[in-house]
Amino acid sequence: MKQSVEKSKVKAKRCENKYKNFAIASVLILIVPLWARFIPGNLIHMDIVNVMALAGIYSCAVIGLNLLIGYAGQISLGHAAFFGIGAYSVAILSTRYPGFPAWLGIIIGAIISCAISWIVGKPVLKLKGHYLAMATLGLGEIGFIFFREATGITKGTVGIIAIPPLSIFGIVIDSDFKIFYVVWITVLLLMLFSMNLIKSRFGRALRALHSSEIAAEAAGVNTSKYKTVVFVMSAVFTAVGGGLFAVFQRYVNPESFHFSVSILFITMVVVGGLGNLWGAVIGSIIITFLPSIISALPYWFPFMPESLTNFGNYTLVLYGILLIVFMIFMPKGIAYALEISYSSALRGMKRIRDRISAMRYTKRK
Amino acid sequence: MSGNGNNELLKVEHVTKLFGGLAAVNDVSFTVNSGEIKGLIGPNGAGKTTLFDLITGIQRPTSGKVYFKGIDVVGMRPDEITSLGMVRTFQTIKIFEGMSVIENVMVGRHSRTRTGLFSSGFLLPRSRKEELETFEHSMRILEMLGLETRAFDAGTNLPYGQQRLLELARALACEPEMLLLDEPAAGLNPYETQELTQLLERIKSDGVTLLVVEHNMGLVMNISDEVIVLDYGEIIARGAPEEVQNDPKVIEAYLGSGIGNAKG
Ligand SMILES: Nc1ncnc2c1ncn2[C@@H]1O[C@H](COP(=O)(O)OP(=O)(O)OP(=O)(O)O)[C@@H](O)[C@H]1O
Ligand SMILES: [Mg+2]
Repeated sequence: MKQSVEKSKVKAKRCENKYKNFAIASVLILIVPLWARFIPGNLIHMDIVNVMALAGIYSCAVIGLNLLIGYAGQISLGHAAFFGIGAYSVAILSTRYPGFPAWLGIIIGAIISCAISWIVGKPVLKLKGHYLAMATLGLGEIGFIFFREATGITKGTVGIIAIPPLSIFGIVIDSDFKIFYVVWITVLLLMLFSMNLIKSRFGRALRALHSSEIAAEAAGVNTSKYKTVVFVMSAVFTAVGGGLFAVFQRYVNPESFHFSVSILFITMVVVGGLGNLWGAVIGSIIITFLPSIISALPYWFPFMPESLTNFGNYTLVLYGILLIVFMIFMPKGIAYALEISYSSALRGMKRIRDRISAMRYTKRK
Repeated sequence: MSGNGNNELLKVEHVTKLFGGLAAVNDVSFTVNSGEIKGLIGPNGAGKTTLFDLITGIQRPTSGKVYFKGIDVVGMRPDEITSLGMVRTFQTIKIFEGMSVIENVMVGRHSRTRTGLFSSGFLLPRSRKEELETFEHSMRILEMLGLETRAFDAGTNLPYGQQRLLELARALACEPEMLLLDEPAAGLNPYETQELTQLLERIKSDGVTLLVVEHNMGLVMNISDEVIVLDYGEIIARGAPEEVQNDPKVIEAYLGSGIGNAKG
């Protein structure tokens, strides 16, 4: 028993470590706007704070989707619909009813997504296999058609313009700088929630059912319930991201919720690392910066043909290639590669330090 | 919890499972009284694993009834049956990948704990308390099975024999009233088998009822109060170990399938 008490301490220490890493990562992210403003725009040809804010918005969706794909082992091909529900809820409510608080719109979008995902997920996730992928494929398509064709409320392809900014406690979030902080604090809270979840009873049940559904059931886990709850949770996270997207862009149109956006989310999950919570954030940041980097290329390398940098034409192709390449060569994603190189760097540093002190020791002798 | 006077814990009545034309389990009836160890033997393909699947809700019988503690469990989900206190292990080991040994056991405690989405996400005090209790309970089980030093290793990194034990630990974690073990000694060396025998006796003395499928005759005959013999999905013999061992029908079934009487 004594031994196991010691072990408990070891375990507690590991948890502390986790929070330490979380704190370090939070600080690294939250100081971005502080240094980014000193980099002259004509040097890099992109607005780092603006792109980072968008990356944070996508992170909300990708964190949720990563829980679904990476932990519960289910695939959704229609998360763009939930992203759209979040965005349109804010857009419609705050343009139709002047003075309607955008944050309430975000909550309403989350509730609608919650209801829809539950209605779709509950019957489908009773079945074993990948039926959710098919059902959400349909859902994504229906969502997109609705956003485009229900012109009475969504204004169709024209989109909804002049969405008023978010305001929190009387502070109007009207600059990229401010929205960056709103977005990333939301992301960090979602991360914290997910981190707690994953190492708890709930997360263990998820990881277990991902490994063997039958064994998880035999161990007492109601697998269809857990899959449904994770699907609903991922839909809610995504809708929150969508709501932030509306107050970030201040303009929405159906193109932002096309099927390719569902694939974009999946690409971010895979590139970052399936079943790796920080992977979701890393994948979102990398993939969100990709178009900005590609469109900045002609400035950096003036000899590049312009057609190559016309990013919009190649998005799906590029995501497809990335998905294939990562699945084959780096199935655990970039986050895992970073973890490995980080710990081997630590080990290498320790080895060098040991050698130096050994050298000193022999010298003294 | 029906008060049917005696201490029948599990009652299987005329259970049949058809796979197309094949009757994998054919009109099988038996009872297991609480506190006993019942052995279930039979040549390969006799239907033992299928019978376990039918009892624990992994598969649904084509016909027949299964009662646990007087409750009709046919049509219940496996996790509901587990929460009732009847837990099984698998012939093909199913250790949860990517999880440590202790976490594997902690999953086994799922049905005895209740922390939900919000209390774990927000790390409410009651979830922490329950988490600690779960951890300590699971650690005690690992200690009982001698796995405590491997608690933080990946479950799938354990040697084969210890993976079998880990599966047993996971099943024990939910404090079952009844354990169904599917070939717990498969792949164990003689020493490990000896230890397993003692362990099963200890589990029995803790008041757990056992139904054990096993090809290792030494083990079955040693621990069982009664043995049931299955062949081609049907019960061909039942009784005390010595009786069954000398039953000509049993000997024939085993010889017919090319497996000696002494081992699997
Ligand atoms: N899902 C299935 N579909 C069709 N046939 C099946 C299925 N599962 C089992 N069977 C058949 O049912 C019979 C009983 O199989 P089962 O696995 O229950 O035998 P067993 O007694 O556990 O054998 P072993 O000692 O080899 O584990 C076998 O003939 C098997 O091929
Ligand atoms: Mg079997």
